Amino acid sequence: MSLLRPLSKLPDLNAANVLLVENEEHFQQKLADVMVNEKSVIVQVRLAKSLPLPMKQEKSRPRIDLVVFIVNLMSELSLHSAEASLKHLAPGYFLGKVCFMVTNARNASVPAERMEAVRKLASALNCPLLFAEDQTPDGVTNAAERLLVILRVAAGCVPMTTALFLSNLTRCTISTEAEQQNSDYDA
Amino acid sequence: MAATLIPPDFDSSSSTDSSSSNRGITRSLRVAEIARRKTKAEDPIVAALKYFSKVQAGTPVQGNEELERNLVSVETVAYSKGLSPEAISVMLEFAMSLRMGTSPCARVLKFLLPSTVVPHQAVVRAVVWLCVGKLPITTQVLFIKWVLTVFDMIDAKDNLRAIYGFIFSFVTEENLCPYICHLLYLLTRKECVRLFRVRKLLELQSKLGKQPFLLHLLSLYKVFCPELVTLSLNSRIRAGFKNHHGPWKLALNAIQKRNFVQVSSDLPLALQTKEKAGLRKRKLGQMDLPVLNVVVQSQKQTSYNKMVVPLAHIQSFVQLLENLHLIELPAQMGSLLGSGLALHYLDCVQDESAFLRLNFWLGHALNEEFLFCGHGGASQGSDEVVRFLERLLSTQHFLQEGFSSVEAFLYKFLNVWDGSLLRPQILGLLSNIPVVPSSCINRLLSEPLMQLFFTSTVFFKCGLIESLNGMLAKWLTWHSVYALEDGLDVSLDSPTSMHMSRSGFMQSVVELVRFVGRLASLGLQLEGCHSLLLSFVLDFYDTVCDIFQKYGLPLVVMIPAGVFYPALFAFDPVSVDRLAQIMYRYKMNLTSAKKQEKLTGQAFHISRQTYREFNHYLVFMVNCLWNSKIFQPGDDIELSEELLLRSRVPQYWASFNLIHHPAFHCYAIDFHHKCWPERRDVDLNSIQNSKTWGWYLEYLFTQGFDGLQQFIQSSISFHPSTTDSQDHRP
Repeated sequence: MSLLRPLSKLPDLNAANVLLVENEEHFQQKLADVMVNEKSVIVQVRLAKSLPLPMKQEKSRPRIDLVVFIVNLMSELSLHSAEASLKHLAPGYFLGKVCFMVTNARNASVPAERMEAVRKLASALNCPLLFAEDQTPDGVTNAAERLLVILRVAAGCVPMTTALFLSNLTRCTISTEAEQQNSDYDA
Repeated sequence: MAATLIPPDFDSSSSTDSSSSNRGITRSLRVAEIARRKTKAEDPIVAALKYFSKVQAGTPVQGNEELERNLVSVETVAYSKGLSPEAISVMLEFAMSLRMGTSPCARVLKFLLPSTVVPHQAVVRAVVWLCVGKLPITTQVLFIKWVLTVFDMIDAKDNLRAIYGFIFSFVTEENLCPYICHLLYLLTRKECVRLFRVRKLLELQSKLGKQPFLLHLLSLYKVFCPELVTLSLNSRIRAGFKNHHGPWKLALNAIQKRNFVQVSSDLPLALQTKEKAGLRKRKLGQMDLPVLNVVVQSQKQTSYNKMVVPLAHIQSFVQLLENLHLIELPAQMGSLLGSGLALHYLDCVQDESAFLRLNFWLGHALNEEFLFCGHGGASQGSDEVVRFLERLLSTQHFLQEGFSSVEAFLYKFLNVWDGSLLRPQILGLLSNIPVVPSSCINRLLSEPLMQLFFTSTVFFKCGLIESLNGMLAKWLTWHSVYALEDGLDVSLDSPTSMHMSRSGFMQSVVELVRFVGRLASLGLQLEGCHSLLLSFVLDFYDTVCDIFQKYGLPLVVMIPAGVFYPALFAFDPVSVDRLAQIMYRYKMNLTSAKKQEKLTGQAFHISRQTYREFNHYLVFMVNCLWNSKIFQPGDDIELSEELLLRSRVPQYWASFNLIHHPAFHCYAIDFHHKCWPERRDVDLNSIQNSKTWGWYLEYLFTQGFDGLQQFIQSSISFHPSTTDSQDHRP
C-alpha cells in the first residue's frame, strides 16, 4: 500500500494537476471535460474510482496538486468509498490540497444524517466542502470553475497565497442542524 | 349550517347503499354523456367511467379483466391530460367507497390528476367515507396527502370549512395528525378557532412534544384569537410543514403545462381558460396556482351573502379604500404577490394573520421548489422559477421589507448552494434580508458566504459584494426610518415586529462591515487587485463612509488597509479618484461628528482609534500623492533604504506622486505635451515647480477627477506660491 504524497515529485512549469475521485465515475468525466479547457495554466485531470492509485503508473504520474472527492449524496456507497480512500493520502495533503464536492444535496430523498456525516468528515479534516449541481451544464461549468480556483492556488500558480491559506478561509465548519434549529427559534 | 351545504343525498349515504348515493353523480354524468355523444362516438374513458359509477359492491377484483381494462383507460387519460371534474368525482367515489375492496383504491388515488378543478362535493363525500372508518390507515394518509396536493384546485373551500369539525376530529389519529394539521391550517378561519379545539391541540402537544405541525396550527390560532391561546409561541418557527411528496406533484405539473399550451378545447367540461387569462392575479405561471379564485367567488356570491369582499373582486384603488375593513383574503396567499392592490392592502393594514399565512405559503413553496426538490433539480433555472423569484423580489421592494420565511429559506439554501444556480435572484433576495443580530451573523451569513466567496470566480465575488452593499444600505435606511428619536438605547420598531436596541443594531452593522472588509481585503489579494472587484469594493465603502451624515447613525468604520492600499496604488485613475472621494466623505463625517460632540457635549461612540486610523491614512495619502515622501519610517509600507537604493529607481520617494503615479502618468505626459509642444524630450519633473503644478492640478480636475479635487481642496491648503503643504486633522 502506498501513500500518495503531495511533495514527492517536482512540479512542472505553469502546470496544475488535479485528481478527481468518484466512485460512480459519472460526474468526474463531465468536470474533466470542462476543466481541461482552462487557458491560464496547463491543467491535467486524472480520474480515479478510488484510492490507492495503481502502482505501475507511479513513474509517469505527475505531482498531484489537488485531490477532489466527489460524493453523491444519493448513495451511501459513494460516501463510504470516499472515506475509505482518504486513508491513502499522506497527511501533507490535508494542508489545503484536498476538497470534497457534493452532488444532489438539495434532493428530497437524501437522508439528513448522510449530509451531516459529510459535513462532519469535511470539517474534521479541515477541508472545503463544495456543493455542485451536476444535472445542468451551467452547474457543471460552475463547479469546474470553482475547482480551478482552488487548483490554481494549490498548484502555486497564484502569487501571494498558498493552499493552506486558502483552505483556512474556505474549510468547512460544522454547523449542525440542531444548532440551526435553535437559531431559528431564538433568532 | 353544515347540513345545508352538503349535497342533499348526504344523509342517505352509507357504506353499503352505494348506488343511491351515486345518483347525483351518475345523473350529471349521463347528461354530460349525452352531450358528448352528439359529437363523437363513445370513447373508452366514458365507458370506463360508466363502469366505475355502476359497478356493484363485492365484484371480484382478481382476474377481472373488465376492471383492469377500464382502470388502464382512465389511467392513461389521467396521465396524459388529467381528469375532468366529473371523472374525479366518479373515481374518488369509487375508490373511497371501497366497493371493490382496498386493492384498487390506492391505485386509483394515485392517478387522480385533475385537469382543471376538483369539485368540492367530491372531496366532501370522500371525507364522509373517511369518517365511516373502513379505510386502512395508509389509504387515509394517501387521501389526505392528495387533498393537500390538489387543495388549490378545489373549486370552493367553504363546504370543506363547513365540515371543519369532522376533519378536526382526525387530529387524534397519530399517523394522520401532521397532514390533518396542514389541511386545517389551510382551512382555518377566525370562526373555526374554538376553545375546545385549542385545548385538544395543547393536549396533543403535551403528548407528542413540540411538533412543528402543531406549533404552526397553534400559531395561526393565536393570530386569530390571541385570548384563547396563551401559549408563548415564537413567531419564527422553522419554516413550513414538511413537504409531502405524494406521487402527484410531478405529473400534475406536466399536465398543467400541457393544458396551458394547448388551450383546452377538447375537454368539454373544462373551465374556460379565457376566464383565467383575464384574471389580474394570475401572473406567476406554474409555481403557484391562484387561478381558480373566480370559481370560488361566484360560488360564494350565490351561496351566502356575508359582509366580506374577496380581495379578487376589488378592481381599483378607490374600491380598496372603500372596502378596506371588509376584505377577505384569498385561500391562496401566493396570489397576493401578483397583485399590486393586494400589496397595498397588506402594506397599510399590517394584518398579522395575512403575513403569517403569506410567510407560510412562501416558506412552503420555496422549500419545495429549491431545497428539497424530488427530481434532482431538472427544472432548475427554468423560466417559471426565475419569474417567481423575480416577482418575489419586486414584492419585497414594494413592501420595503423581507419576509421571514424567505430569510429562513436563504439560510438553509446558502448551505447547499453551488454559487451559480439562480445567482442574480438569490443575491437579490440576500440583499433584502432584514437586520440579523450580531451574534448570528457569523454563523448564518459569514460561514456559508466565506466559503462560496473564496472558491468562486471574480464575478461571483463582485456580485456578492454588491449584494452585501445592498443589504447594508437597506439596514441603514430601515434604521433611519424606524428609529425612535429619544436617547441612545431606544428600540427600533417596525411592522415585522422586530425589536432591537440601537447598540445591538450598531453591533450588527459593524459586524457586517467588518465581514465585508475581510472578504474584500483577502479577495483583492487573491485576485491580484482585480479592478472590477476593486470597483465593487469601493462601492461598498461609498456606503460605509457616509453612515453618520447620510443615515444619522453615529458610527464610522474605517476602510481596512487591505482595501486602502490596493486602491491607492491602483493602475486605473478611477479607483484612486474614488478612494479620494471616500476619504473626503470620511473626513466630512468625522468633522461633523466632532462638531456635534462639541455642540451637545454628548460623547459619541466614535473612538479615538478611528480618528487615529483616519489621520494615518490621510497623512500617508498626502505624502504619497502630494509631498513625494513615500516609504517613510513608521508607514504601513516600509522598505529599508538600502533595498530601495539597490532597486535603482531614480527618486523612488516621488514615484507615487500625482505625476509619477502609474494611474496618472499618462495624464502627466499629456499635460507635458500640451504645455510645451515644442519640447522633444519629456521631463516630467519640470511639472513639479509651483506654477506648473497648479496648472497641472487644474488640468487633472478638468479631466473629471471630482473626488480628487474635493480631497485635495479639503485636506491640503495649497497656495500656488509654495509647494509646501499641510494637512488638516479633524
